[in-house]
Amino acid sequence: MLSLRIGFSPLNDAALIVVAEALGTYAAEGLDVSLSRESNWSNIRDKLSYGLLDAAHVLATMPLARGLGLGPTLGQIVAPMALGANGNSVVVSSRLKAVFEDHGASTLIATARALRLVIQNRRAASDAKVTLAIPFTYSPHHFVLRHWLAAAGIDPDRQVQWVVLPPSRMADHLRDGVIDGFCSGSPWPQMAELNGDGVVLFSDPAFWTLKPEKLLGVRGVWAEENPDGVIALTRALLRAAQWASDPANSTDLAEILSRKAYVGAPLEAIQAALGEGGAGLVLDPQTTTFPWISHAKWFMGQFVRWGLTTGDHDFDAIARKVYRPDLWREAASGLELNVPEADEKDEGGQTAPWSLPARPEPILMPANALFDGGVFRSVAS
Amino acid sequence: MNVLIIDPDDARAALVAEGIRMDEVHQAATIHHWPRFELAQWLEINPDMVIIACESPDRDTLDALQVANEQAPRPVAMFVDRSDANTTAQALEAGVAAYIVDGYAPNRIASILTVAAHRFNLMQTLRSDLSKAKADLAARKTIDRAKGILMTSRGINEDEAYKLMRKHAMDSGRPIAAVAADILSIADLLKTGGV
Repeated sequence: MLSLRIGFSPLNDAALIVVAEALGTYAAEGLDVSLSRESNWSNIRDKLSYGLLDAAHVLATMPLARGLGLGPTLGQIVAPMALGANGNSVVVSSRLKAVFEDHGASTLIATARALRLVIQNRRAASDAKVTLAIPFTYSPHHFVLRHWLAAAGIDPDRQVQWVVLPPSRMADHLRDGVIDGFCSGSPWPQMAELNGDGVVLFSDPAFWTLKPEKLLGVRGVWAEENPDGVIALTRALLRAAQWASDPANSTDLAEILSRKAYVGAPLEAIQAALGEGGAGLVLDPQTTTFPWISHAKWFMGQFVRWGLTTGDHDFDAIARKVYRPDLWREAASGLELNVPEADEKDEGGQTAPWSLPARPEPILMPANALFDGGVFRSVAS
Repeated sequence: MNVLIIDPDDARAALVAEGIRMDEVHQAATIHHWPRFELAQWLEINPDMVIIACESPDRDTLDALQVANEQAPRPVAMFVDRSDANTTAQALEAGVAAYIVDGYAPNRIASILTVAAHRFNLMQTLRSDLSKAKADLAARKTIDRAKGILMTSRGINEDEAYKLMRKHAMDSGRPIAAVAADILSIADLLKTGGV
């Protein structure tokens, strides 16, 4: 048995990491895994750096930030797979929600436009800036909120105050009026709503039907020293995904997640997030776990768009060092999964299910569309 | 030198503060302790260095100050020791990290972080010693009570009662405290006449 330590943050989208332990799929792949429940993303980043963890549930933007030379960077992180799609929600104060309703604003564009008026009114009245909380600077949450605001012509750098908060403190700050809204992984938004601290404004699928979010991050040195271990780990998680995405297991999935050692949140909130109209987390191994190079490039494009880095990097090289579709393909063979032919695809623009070229059979992909109709094309076709 | 300790564990923070003050070089340091991060009060303290417990959920809030903002105009960076001593790695293992504000005196940072890491390890040892001592005490009480029951019911002396339990523990491959606990629960059952 190969021993390894895997870190995770207590969120529903750590599902594959914890389900693999609960179901014994790590052991079935010859891995002796000990899980480490971490209180913050900085710990996960640093423990991966220093070898206190061999692998972890990471924000897709974390290894990319490292690749771009941002933060205390030490060593390489590779991502053999994504841990599903979607799972975050944006929560606003009831007061803000009431303003949106007064404007009859329900779509993302309409709510962003209404927020623009709120920002103008507050400025005219010399009130405090609209303040939004995110869990980490280099996070998909940050990019989603900025993209949404900018769609209505709001300047996220000058017109909005940003604050990084742990999800466990977001609802308190919202209730106390310190912040006007936040974006967080589930089940925190659903808990905030159940406790009456705020209202869910929208969840990931409304922004992008199949939004990339978390990755399996593996310490580069460990991956090099244990080439079979990386494949075994990826297979264990793909097996967990086969189980977790089966609707017949949804009750058991929620129960496993709610355990104290895993997410440790009330079952009611976890079920609200996983259910219809929830945070839209998709764990299907076939359509949401392939580490698309085009996802990496979309994220890095956001780093550039928001001035977190410059445009003079070799983005293709960074993307391919971190995202490893070759490892996914090797792990998926023998698991009755079809293997995508390309490493990149258009992100956005697919409003209906579509057929993705793959072997042995093409994959029927769900819609892949952004709310603003944008299409990100990383390769010339 | 202005040091801020962020740790939800008050006792441990006090232990770290004491450790820093014991070093002559840092006697002049002003040390603050926050159980949680308070961005609104950041400028009042205006620290040069922050020691933070890794288990604090607020670590990402602190970490984000590497991009300076209105409330924290001086950029904050995690202290990464690239020397052979690798203080950063040892500290992370102990559960603590250090941040420097505006690139403040990195050579002194390493020695303070080393002290903090030692104190975190010390606290861990103290806590585990304490819980072991508590468990030992509880076990001894159980054994004493079981001895008393055996002495009364079988008319034997204390030494014989202990030997009887020890033999049973060895024969069944279980700790003597577990055997004693069984005797107590069975005695309890007999006393109340069973259900």
